[in-house]
Order: sequence, then structure tokens, then C-alpha cells
Amino acid sequence: MKNRRFATPCLLLTLAAGALLGCKKTPDSQPTVGTVSLELANMVGAKSVALDGTTYATASGETFTVSTLKYYLSNFKFTKSDGSTYAAPGEYHLVDADKAGSTAFTISQVPVGDYTGVSFVVGVDSTTTKADPLSLTGDLNPANNMYWPWSSGHIFLKLEGILTSTAKPTAFAYHIGGYRAPYNALVTAAPSFNGSTLPVRADHAPAIRFSADVLKIFDGPTAASHVPLAATTEIMSPSARSVQMAQNYASGMFTVQYIHAN
Amino acid sequence: MWLNWLPALRRLLPHWRLAALLALGGAVVASAGCSQVGGLGLAVPGTAQPANFPAMVYGLAQNPPDAATFELGRRLFYDARLSVDGSVSCGSCHQAAAAFAHAGQRLSPGVGGHPGRRNAPALQNLRWRRGFMADGGVLGLELQALAPLTDAHEMNLPLAAALARLNADPAYRRRFAAIYGPGSIDTPQFLRALAQFTAALTSANSRYDKYVRHEAGGTLTALELRGRALFQAKCSGCHATDLFTDESFRNDGLDRTFPQDSGRARITARPTDRGRFKVPSLRNVARTAPYMHDGRLATLTAVLAHYDHGVQPSPTLDPLLRQPTGRLGIALTAPEQAELLAFLNTLTDHEFLADSRLLPPQ
Repeated sequence: MKNRRFATPCLLLTLAAGALLGCKKTPDSQPTVGTVSLELANMVGAKSVALDGTTYATASGETFTVSTLKYYLSNFKFTKSDGSTYAAPGEYHLVDADKAGSTAFTISQVPVGDYTGVSFVVGVDSTTTKADPLSLTGDLNPANNMYWPWSSGHIFLKLEGILTSTAKPTAFAYHIGGYRAPYNALVTAAPSFNGSTLPVRADHAPAIRFSADVLKIFDGPTAASHVPLAATTEIMSPSARSVQMAQNYASGMFTVQYIHAN
Repeated sequence: MWLNWLPALRRLLPHWRLAALLALGGAVVASAGCSQVGGLGLAVPGTAQPANFPAMVYGLAQNPPDAATFELGRRLFYDARLSVDGSVSCGSCHQAAAAFAHAGQRLSPGVGGHPGRRNAPALQNLRWRRGFMADGGVLGLELQALAPLTDAHEMNLPLAAALARLNADPAYRRRFAAIYGPGSIDTPQFLRALAQFTAALTSANSRYDKYVRHEAGGTLTALELRGRALFQAKCSGCHATDLFTDESFRNDGLDRTFPQDSGRARITARPTDRGRFKVPSLRNVARTAPYMHDGRLATLTAVLAHYDHGVQPSPTLDPLLRQPTGRLGIALTAPEQAELLAFLNTLTDHEFLADSRLLPPQ
């Protein structure tokens, strides 16, 4: 504010710079980018996630309720059949089962074309986490309670509830995060399009709907990757078990329910 | 360069053209070399680069100091409403007369009187720090405030609740709006305003500083000079540079095992980091008792005695505390300890400790 006396020359400079940038960014007469809509259906197996005390069961017979389910999706990368990719910059989305508006969002400025795959990070990359706190707004705001103040990093996925298959009901809290070896839980999911294509056009926005199955946090592709809830009911810092859970949800939690060309 | 923080400013300020204008204004000031350069932060303490210090890590350009923001940060630092029950402020455990450590407290009580987990460290020369906390878990000065604010053993106030309290206070609304423009007070504004105060806690005017800078009042006695030579020979391997720390994490032999607090390993999960803690600065060390990460040693005499004959072996014990002969610690005769104590007392910066600009606002 103390630089107000420079307002006039600065304003001129700003306008000049703006004009130069503006010329460069004037869209061509033929738009070459479009928008993709994404939607998440939070599930536990075949049932929708409800935070109302509904009881769910794992394949191994443990029963539980869910009170909190939140996770970050970021670093979306779309792949065409020729192998070329488009990485969408600056997309950080906090999906919160308690906030209806958080389960659907759009990614714009995607170059037109037919895409055959997508990948995304479940979490927040360490570069962003280490960035200037000026970036800690919106979904990345630590006020969203998805942040470890003691270790400067976002929590990637948070699942809390009550384990009811134990002799006495036990509260559980799984906070998965950490981007440092040996317990790096930053994982990428690449749910298959199952042969479908995602046609991005300038004049219509195709939609992908993903299922996000909480049970897959506990079960990976092999029997060895199974993590019983009863084995540990509290994860509040990076550990071997949190990395196992991250690998589990990277490999199976997200599946494509449908792709609509619209 | 200002170009790097232009996009960041754009996010902070509601109107990007205003941000661009401010940034360009700053660049014009910097490149023109006019009187405003010298004026940058003059009203704010601790903005000058001491000649005997290394370069700042948190440079002035990252959060350009100005009097209004510094005063706002000072107000936040001393405001107990930032604890869940309104009982403690940052300043409760970080007191100016103790170089912003907590005089006489091993483990400071937070809300509800619950003791904290570590000794409240001195807050000084934070512009020169690369990581924060005894375990280095926090990566920047602005982010640091989030830890004590939300820790259940300290202020125990969720960030969202802190912002809600600030936004409900018309005086804070006015102060923030005057600096950052209209709109509600958000996380970056809150953290950056507070950091203007913590970054201002520069201690660089002890008798020792004046001695090395050949300034008036910089006289050391023969005893103190012998202490300095001894310090350079036996202590400066860790307490390096005129910041008196090399910012490394070391196991100083307090324990053989670390069941309560594994130190750096809490962050890295590496067994080789168990029992390692950040080497603290020794500036104003005569005022920051008690000592060590858990405050277990009450006096400097006890600290020197620890290094002489109290060092405990463990796999991660710092190599500098393991002599070639196999002896643990650093041998210090009684006269040597007296010399070291005399030297350490020259690191007391009375100007800093009594700076009224750093005390609670009236």
C-alpha cells in the first residue's frame, strides 16, 4: 500500500503488459479446447456412502460405520490413443462425502480430441504442499482439516467411523498422507475406460462418473495387501500401513461407471 | 525476483490488477534505487541484514515488511483469543525478556494447563531458519504458526475457528482490510500478518556482535576471549556461524533410547534419525533456561556438565561427541567451563530483550 505514489506509472505499465499478454491470448476463431465434467460416487461396496450410522461390511466380515470420508484428487492427465497426453495444471479438488457440491467438478482448457484414459493423483503433490502459503486457499486451505501442521503437508485421504465387529465398538481414524521416503503415500490412480473414449469437443462437455469404493482401501489386488480394520484403528502419521492403504486405493478404489459424450 | 511472486500476490489480493500494480510498484522502487528502498520496513524492527550474518532465508521481498502489518502481527501474537478457551497466546510461552522462550518452564502449559511435549524454544533470527520445530517438520516461517495454534497441547484452536473469530471482530476486519483489501480474512492473510511479527525478532546486537563488527561497546575481557577460542575449538562444529547453529539435527547424548520423542525420526521415519534434534542457536542463551529439547537441564552449568561427563551412548549419537579415544562427550575442565560461560554471556542482546516494539501492544 505504501507504493501508492507509483500508481500512475504502474497502472500504465500494467495496462501495457496486459495489452501485450492479451494479444497473445486472444482465442483463435476455431476453439481448440473443451471442458470435461467429472463426478464421484462414493460407495462402500454396492452401497452409497452415508454418514448416518449405516453399517457396512468388508469382504472378510468386519462391520463398520462411516462418519468422515474426504480425499484430494489432483494432477489429472488425459491420454489419447496415440499415447500423447494432456496434463491439466492447477487442479486440486477436495472430495468430501459431507459436502454434496464437492463430488462434481469440471476441468476446462482440455485440448479437443478423443481420449482413451485418465490418471490422477490421490492427494496433493509435495511441490504444492511446499509452495508459498499464498496457495493455501480454496480446497487446499488448511482450514479444511486436511493438513498436518506438524509436518507441513496435506492429508491425502481421511476415513473415520466406528468399527462395530469388535467386542466393543471402537472408533477408527485413518489419515493417509506423507510424501517422504520410506513412507511415501502419494499414489496415482488410472481407472480404465474399458474401451470407451472421452470425446472432448469445443461445443459440448463430456462427463465421466467414477465410483470410489471405500472397501478398496482395505483390500488390494493380492491377499497380502489386505489391511484389517481391527489391526489398527488409528493412523495419524506416515507408516508402512498407511502406504499399503494408499497402494490399495490407488489400484482399486476408483472405477469408471460411465462416460457420456453429451 | 518480483516476477516470481507476482502470481502468488495475484492469488492473495482479490483484484489481480491491484496485485500487479503493487508488484510493479515494488519493482519500480527497487530498480529506481530511490529513497523508498532504504525506507522498506524501516519502521519495522529486525529488517536490516546484520553484517556478520549469512543471507536471509525468508527475505524481505517474500512478505515486504510494513508498519501496519507488523503491528497487526504483533496484535495476533499476543491475542489469547487464538486459543480455544482464550487462556493462552503465542506470547504466553514466548516471552520477550527470555528471547521469546518461556522463562523457567520445562514444558509450558497449553490450554487447560496440559503440559506441551517439548520445551518452548527461543524465537529469534527466524528469517535465517530453514526448517522449524525441534524435528524440522515445518517447512516455512509462515506455516509454523499452524502447529501451536492447532496442537491439542498448546492453543488447540482449529484454523477455521481462528479465522471465524478474527472475522467476527470488527477491529480485526478493519485492520486486515486496510492492508489486504476488502473481503473476509483468509488463511494466507492471517499467516503472513503473523509472520511479519515473528520475522522481526532479530537479535544481532549483543556485545559479541559489536566485537566481531568492531563497533562501539564491542569489548570482550581476557576471560571471555579465552572462552571464545575454546568455543571455536570445541562447540562451533554444531553451533556454527554467528547464528550459533548449523541447522542440522543431532543426537546430543541425552538418552540411550527415545521412546517418548524420537525427534527428527518423527518426520523422516528413518531409524538413523532417532534421537536427533535441531541444533539450537545459543544467542541469548543465558536467558533461555531451561535447556535441551525437553527442558530437562535447568542451568548452563548443568549443560556443560552434560557435555563433559553426562553423554549417553546410542547408535545415533553424534560423531562429534564420540572422541577417537572412545571417550564420550567433550572434556571440559572447571576453568574451561568458567571461560565458556563467560563467553556465552556475551551473546546476550539487551537491546533485543528490551525492545518495546516487540512487547504486547497497549
